[in-house]
Amino acid sequence: MARYLLKQLFNMAITLFAVTFIVFVLNELTPGDVVRKLLGPYASADQVEKVTREMGLDRPVMVRYAEYMANAARGDFGQSIVFRRPVSEVLWDRLGNTLLLAGVCFAIIVPFSVLLGVLAGMRERGWIDRSVSVFSSVCASIPEFAMGVFLLAIFVVQLGWLPGTSPLRDDTGWPIWTQLVLPAAVVVLYDAGYLIAMIRTSMVEVMRQPFIRTAVLKGMSFRRVVVKHALRNALIAPFTVILLQINYLVAGLVVVEMVFAYPGFGRMMLEAALAKDIAIVEAGTLVAVSVTMLTQVVGDLGYRALDPRISI
Amino acid sequence: MTDPMEHPVLKDATRELREGRLDRRAFLRVATLLGVSAGAAYGMAGLPAPALAQTAQPKKGGTLRLGMRVHDLSSPHTYSWIEAANAGRQTLDYLTQTGPDNVTRPHLVAKWTASPDLKVWTFELRKDVKWRKGGRTFNADDAIWNINRVLDAKTGSSVVGLLKGFILEEYETGEKDDKGAAKKSTRLWAPNAIEKVDEFTFRLNGKAANLAIPEALYHYPFLMLDPAEGGKFGVGSNGTGAYELTELEIGRRAVFTARKDGYFAGGPWIERFEIIDIGEDPAAAVAALASKQIDMEYQGSIATLPAMEKLTHLQMFKVDTAYTAVARVHPIKPFDDKRVRQALRYATDTEATLKAAHRGLGLPGDHHHVAPVHPEYAPNIAQKHDVAKAKALLAEAGYPNGIDAEIACRPQPDWELLAVQTMVEQWKAAGIRVKINVMPSAQYWDVWTKVPFGFTTWAHRPLGTMVLGLAYRTGASWNEANWSNAEFDKLITEAEGYLDVEKRRQVMAKLEQILLEDGPVVVPLWRALFAHADKKVKGYQLHPSVYIDVYKIWVEA
Repeated sequence: MARYLLKQLFNMAITLFAVTFIVFVLNELTPGDVVRKLLGPYASADQVEKVTREMGLDRPVMVRYAEYMANAARGDFGQSIVFRRPVSEVLWDRLGNTLLLAGVCFAIIVPFSVLLGVLAGMRERGWIDRSVSVFSSVCASIPEFAMGVFLLAIFVVQLGWLPGTSPLRDDTGWPIWTQLVLPAAVVVLYDAGYLIAMIRTSMVEVMRQPFIRTAVLKGMSFRRVVVKHALRNALIAPFTVILLQINYLVAGLVVVEMVFAYPGFGRMMLEAALAKDIAIVEAGTLVAVSVTMLTQVVGDLGYRALDPRISI
Repeated sequence: MTDPMEHPVLKDATRELREGRLDRRAFLRVATLLGVSAGAAYGMAGLPAPALAQTAQPKKGGTLRLGMRVHDLSSPHTYSWIEAANAGRQTLDYLTQTGPDNVTRPHLVAKWTASPDLKVWTFELRKDVKWRKGGRTFNADDAIWNINRVLDAKTGSSVVGLLKGFILEEYETGEKDDKGAAKKSTRLWAPNAIEKVDEFTFRLNGKAANLAIPEALYHYPFLMLDPAEGGKFGVGSNGTGAYELTELEIGRRAVFTARKDGYFAGGPWIERFEIIDIGEDPAAAVAALASKQIDMEYQGSIATLPAMEKLTHLQMFKVDTAYTAVARVHPIKPFDDKRVRQALRYATDTEATLKAAHRGLGLPGDHHHVAPVHPEYAPNIAQKHDVAKAKALLAEAGYPNGIDAEIACRPQPDWELLAVQTMVEQWKAAGIRVKINVMPSAQYWDVWTKVPFGFTTWAHRPLGTMVLGLAYRTGASWNEANWSNAEFDKLITEAEGYLDVEKRRQVMAKLEQILLEDGPVVVPLWRALFAHADKKVKGYQLHPSVYIDVYKIWVEA
């Protein structure tokens, strides 16, 4: 166990190091000049040149990378070009906002999909199964931006019940919780649609197993069969998938955050990447990769807890 | 100094106006630039002065929330975004103001006069302008400090490019660049170039004639800062303007509060002004307006126009401009033959393109890139949609079966791609088969002068000669079509030498003709800019450069 954790930690360090380098080089190779993007189309060539020199961007890429890594090692992630603030400030602020949204979504998605997935899967082709399957495939097949626009049209434009953007400030006439409703609804519907289908399939398979038939035949109540025997087995396979949703919820909410002008991590990363704000992109990538790798470790450990036959 | 009313250029202009050779709008611009008051100029042109003083009584108080990007605001003299200037200008002032009607009016300056040769300009400041902090009066020393600073090469302001020919000279710094060539910089051309006359008067002694000096003083980074703050700007900074910046978070929002002791130019009416950054997604502007989280958008998008029209609590502001994008070709096969270039223009239906790509907001394009809003526009020089003629020209040029090509363009803003798609469909009818290569904006700007066939945005510029000089003169750095025409080069230099609009128009007619005959571009449309606001927003007028002065705006309860 300790060996396993040490090994994972080592892997993580290597991966993070490799990723910083790849991101730096990719950023360098993508078209467009950082300063030109920062100053916009009306800036003169002289202005661009001056700022390039001021920011030290006229130096070779390897020199800048080495400098960046040296500073990062000391815990200094530099200054954001776009936001004109220390990267750590911007990053934690935006990450906090995203974690709030992600937390709300995760807390709804998991019980909601487990409930519907299990209900649908326990009686294959029953009416619950059919209705849940239709619901989940519709949800999973509508892209997030389209879902966002539908919900906006209904709840903001038609009914006027909810705010259309989510700046997360309470002085815009809408309490903060109302600003979370629509972004969370889009994420929950889109993501749950997929998870429900996964859990249902797993449940259907488990329900076809001989030991379930045995349990039913020996006279155990159906309710007990489902809760005591089927549920745990049916959740083993979807467990990793559920954990993978954490990655998506932290780093993949770009579309939702753009549609609702939500000041989150995904929107920050998109804007930083478009502006080639390397300090933000690097730090954000480190966070995203760490989250991914940590959920993998948790996934492995959880797997073992659910199924004692698996050892790591 | 010459009294504006006695200025020789004004006399010529007045005569031409009377003889019907100069149109009234052009006359207005010239007269006001020479220092004639806008009211008098409108009177001389026989036009009613625009209703800048509204019939309704403005209401004091309330909050206005504008949806616009919030950029770094720390260095006003080097602002490169209009959005940044739209924040800074609430606290800081310009010496002059050019209105939505293209007329330049006094602001911090009370009046000005120009020498007959247009080289010496004398500006008299208002004496009632107070800095918000300290209560000091804005004086000539303040103005001169700011002018010196923006013209200093070390500052890096884009004002330098505008006034270089008038008041600066190039010199070798004595340093060498990486390639060993001598480094050049600019400095004032003479020690007395900027001269203090008395406490409230200063003079600019230029080396060349320039009619547009008062307009240049309204160039968006040319804001007047308190010299004591050393060129920096931020929360709490001093200013002569109507508002104080009280909160700033780049990428999120900026908050301004009205100054208590009144503002010399009237207002301010709004008590609290907020800029809310809703990002680049046009859908976010619709959503924010729909749920009343903002009262006004910065600039409308064609894609979301139908959605905006459904929101009954909104009004739309609109202004015609010379903003456009041009489909331009390099002189290589098959476009090396001018008949093929003409065929491309004849195959284009500008009116249909305007409807399809820009929802009819604006004017059908002129393929010579001079717009009806330009003062020296020569009308009725056009190549109208004519497919048969396009086919005939192609056949004549040796392409009876048509031609194949590929056009590079950007996906954003949305109207650009729509315009390209519309034209490509129209061109098919004439046998011009074009593939569309959509590339990300950043990538496009790396190759915009290099692709053989591309679709490029051109911003609004107040004069037609500016556009033609930048884009079509042989060897100009923005001559993206690599086009060269000796006759054109000669005539454009001639046109630039005339201050007199009517003389410029006569040359412009010839230039337009040359561009239609030989030129490298299709100009599908002239965009109207537009923006939506809550109906409670009053007193706002959309400026062709989207400059926003909040002190003129008020909200009805």
